[in-house]
Amino acid sequence: MTTAGVQSSAPVAGRQPARPALVLRLPWLYLVSRRVPAALGLIAGLAVLLWASLRWHWNVAGGPAAQEFIPLAIEAGVAAVVAVTTYGPFGEPERAAGRWLPYLRLGAALALTAAAFGALAAGAAAGATGATGATGAAAGAAAGGLAGGTLAMLRNLAGIVGTGLLTAAAAGGAFGWVGPMAYLLVTEVALTGTTTTPWVWPAHPAHDRGAAICASLVYAAGVAVITVRGTRNSGRNPAPE
Amino acid sequence: MTAMTAAPARPRAPRAASAVPLAAARLLRIELRRNAMPWVLPLIAVLFWFDSYRPSTGQPPIYLLRTFWNMGQGHTIIDFGPFVAGVAAWMGSRDGRRHTRDLVTAAARARYAAQLATWAATAIWAVGAYLVFVGVLFAVYAHQGVAGEPPWWWVAVGATAVAAFSAAGFAVGAFFPSRFAAPLAAFGGFFAMVQSSQTGFRDSGGWALILPTNSNGNFQPDSGIFYRYLPDLPIARLMFLAGIAVAALGLLGLPAWAGGPRLRRAAAVVTVAGVAATGTAVGLASTAQLGPHGIVIPALHDAASDQPIRYAPVCSRAAAVPVCLNPAYQPYLTDVTAALAPAFREVSGLPGVPVRVSQVGALYASSNGVSSQPMTITGRPPVLSLPLGAVLSFLPGPGGRHPRGTAKAFDRVLALLFAHAFVGAGNGAGTPAQQAVQAALMQGMGIPIAAQPSVVNLGPPSWAPTTKTASGPVYAAAQRLTALGPTAGQAWLAAHLTALRSGQLTLGQLP
Repeated sequence: MTTAGVQSSAPVAGRQPARPALVLRLPWLYLVSRRVPAALGLIAGLAVLLWASLRWHWNVAGGPAAQEFIPLAIEAGVAAVVAVTTYGPFGEPERAAGRWLPYLRLGAALALTAAAFGALAAGAAAGATGATGATGAAAGAAAGGLAGGTLAMLRNLAGIVGTGLLTAAAAGGAFGWVGPMAYLLVTEVALTGTTTTPWVWPAHPAHDRGAAICASLVYAAGVAVITVRGTRNSGRNPAPE
Repeated sequence: MTAMTAAPARPRAPRAASAVPLAAARLLRIELRRNAMPWVLPLIAVLFWFDSYRPSTGQPPIYLLRTFWNMGQGHTIIDFGPFVAGVAAWMGSRDGRRHTRDLVTAAARARYAAQLATWAATAIWAVGAYLVFVGVLFAVYAHQGVAGEPPWWWVAVGATAVAAFSAAGFAVGAFFPSRFAAPLAAFGGFFAMVQSSQTGFRDSGGWALILPTNSNGNFQPDSGIFYRYLPDLPIARLMFLAGIAVAALGLLGLPAWAGGPRLRRAAAVVTVAGVAATGTAVGLASTAQLGPHGIVIPALHDAASDQPIRYAPVCSRAAAVPVCLNPAYQPYLTDVTAALAPAFREVSGLPGVPVRVSQVGALYASSNGVSSQPMTITGRPPVLSLPLGAVLSFLPGPGGRHPRGTAKAFDRVLALLFAHAFVGAGNGAGTPAQQAVQAALMQGMGIPIAAQPSVVNLGPPSWAPTTKTASGPVYAAAQRLTALGPTAGQAWLAAHLTALRSGQLTLGQLP
């Protein structure tokens, strides 16, 4: 018996790279391992919460800045959910074996942020329309109580997602929620006073360039770090269990 | 009969009994070492400094004012609670996330006991850190010379709130073991605190007083200075929060995997007890009444709490009249005497001029704003009672809370209160004649009539009529009186002061 026959054997099904179902299998497995479907459900729930808060005018007593606090808290909650999806259960083996891992992390972070923004924008538009009777989605969002409209929401959401991703990279994906929560508390203090630093972007108008740049920088840094390094789950620096 | 049967049995029971607490202590020690809470404490420390300590430094050096934001309005709880709930949820979800629930259930010790050990370790870290951080906070205040008594009851409420957050978060994690349990518990806790703050800002009575962020009518001057912080409401809050914690921990013991039937029945009793404590506390808060020194709950009130705090006054003189303040207000003695000196010079020689100024404690109001508390002149010889705590907002210097808290504003508010007391207007606007004489006296104290509406509009007292301009019959009469000149004006006032104070003088009877 020789090995000639072995070399000429028919290719097994797993080695066929061109079939679309197999191309999508890896991203799907990655998303499932990160509990992205559950995260999408939670994001949808938070969007409903935003809709309800705008529909029934849930406000914190205070000036205009204080009144944007509940939407901001919901945005931070969404950011926390996005950050927690970065937690991977496989650790070092996945890092060693998965050469597509950075692309998967990048894609998941961008897609979840986009989905979160879409869900919140829809919730805000529906809530504002219900509250004011207006029909224009973006205009309604601004008029119905979401300060700054969808533009400010996009900025705030992106920036806070960035803090969550950075926290996930530093402290572990399971603790990615800590960053958005801490930022929310800092913002709460800033909103009650007079703040000028653009790093507290929710306290600035929607078209404030400095605030937008700061939020974008934080988001870009978060996405970059999570793409390149992943979360703190390696064997060398275990996250708290 | 053999030696074996004759030998006494080995007393195993005492050893077994002593082994139980030893094993529990060992388990607790392991859980303390493995706990995730210490990882979050540095971040909480930074937030505690940023949110609880930093805003308080702009307040006057009096404990009640320094701690109004962080204790009275519960910001130390807001800083701790959500993080503690999140981390506790993470710890509570451990068995579920690792799919070791069956493994732990089959162990010698009941799973409920193991869960309680994990929770206890989490709570020890959280409550211990809370107490340490607050201790450091108060030590810094003491180093800065902050006067008065610290609000220890509110510290106890905060520590219990942290324990309640840990218990509730742990239960969330245990029942919904997922990576999302921690953020949901944290943001849920934060939402609860936001709603608590919102309700606290709005409601000044009823069940809403049970919320630890509600400062309405229960955290005002001069608690901790002239009288003690009333413990009634904090005791009800302790019951409320401890009830939540106990109920959440009891819930952990209800499922089949928690332990045997007896243990589960005991857990059910614990849960019911927790719910009962919470409900009772809410009911007690609903019976609360606003007293002069804070919130009184009849079922919890101890008359010993009403005892005033003894002190040795610090005194100085304003135009030769002794002015005595509580030592907590010593930094403001110079400002007070400087503000009162023109007033005493203006009324010098008139009947009923106070021979002494004595500070009295401010009385509580239903909302956070302390206003409408006049100075009073009583006794024989007459003594001017000065509720300085009611005008703390206008204290000058870096400790002044009011945005217009300058020496000039403070002088003017004190002049207004003095003139108001001197004409006998009491705790109301006074008769038109009293208002006119009050305006004339203030003119003599160096506050032009044209500028007086701005003094009235500064804020307190709420009884003062708010006008934009010094016009109308009252101000016209005041100008006629001042036009007489100091000597003739004072002679007229000396002759008519008794009638003026009794409210019998009309505006038309003024010169």
